[in-house]
Amino acid sequence: MSVVNYGTREITCKIVYYGPGRSGKTTNLQHVYSQLPEERKGKMVSLATETDRTLFFDFLPLDLGTISGFATRFQLYTVPGQVYYAATRKLVLQGVDGVVFVADSQSRQLAENIESLQDLHANLADEGLDPRSIPLVMQYNKRDLPSNEISPVEALDETLNFRGVPHFSATAVNGGGVFETLRSISTLVLSRLSAPATKGS
Amino acid sequence: MAKDAKKEAEEEGGEFADFLADVSKEIAQRVESLDKRATPAAQEKQEKQEKKKTPIVADAGVIVEWPTIADRLIEEMR
Repeated sequence: MSVVNYGTREITCKIVYYGPGRSGKTTNLQHVYSQLPEERKGKMVSLATETDRTLFFDFLPLDLGTISGFATRFQLYTVPGQVYYAATRKLVLQGVDGVVFVADSQSRQLAENIESLQDLHANLADEGLDPRSIPLVMQYNKRDLPSNEISPVEALDETLNFRGVPHFSATAVNGGGVFETLRSISTLVLSRLSAPATKGS
Repeated sequence: MAKDAKKEAEEEGGEFADFLADVSKEIAQRVESLDKRATPAAQEKQEKQEKKKTPIVADAGVIVEWPTIADRLIEEMR
């Protein structure tokens, strides 16, 4: 996806929230949506099963209006976390500009976090994107759970954040850390506007 | 332009306003650097490249518009 179209004066950024099932990806988007002023509220598309699991993907378009002469749109997506939706995850990653990896802080979910991160890397590579250079932010979610149930942030960072990208503690269920994470990935994506165009630009 | 966006962001209020203000600031900085680089020759080159691209046909199985796909999925599920 083209991040900036100088001809039509448009900036479009596609940000994908990735992570294992039930880590809080949809909750992140729901919080962003809840904070939007009425006049900016578009349509949040969420396809969920009866048990509230994301079936296909969530999509939240953010129309930020005209900024510095550029019509600016952010498109936020989540992927279904469950292992068997591999094809959907791959599809949603097409044309991605930045990724938020939402990790579940629960100690018993560590293996799922690692598996999902490996899956992300494999799918990015399949899309011709370099997993080592694509804008990425780590979010360690569910920090509100009892301390004996969650891994320390340092331990999560050491295991998952080998690139040393920005990381945030979050309690997405009450909005904690959601916008900090979004702000960080947005800045990383936008910082590439002045970089030489790569795939799809 | 950047001032307009900032003013608009201030009027929004809340977490989203802070986010919008930061994004506006970032874009203003980037656009400034892009404006300096966007010489007429570079723009002409970009336009030529865009013309050369093979047009994507919507019914060729290629997803060209995500919102449309989402709408269609919802419609089919009803």
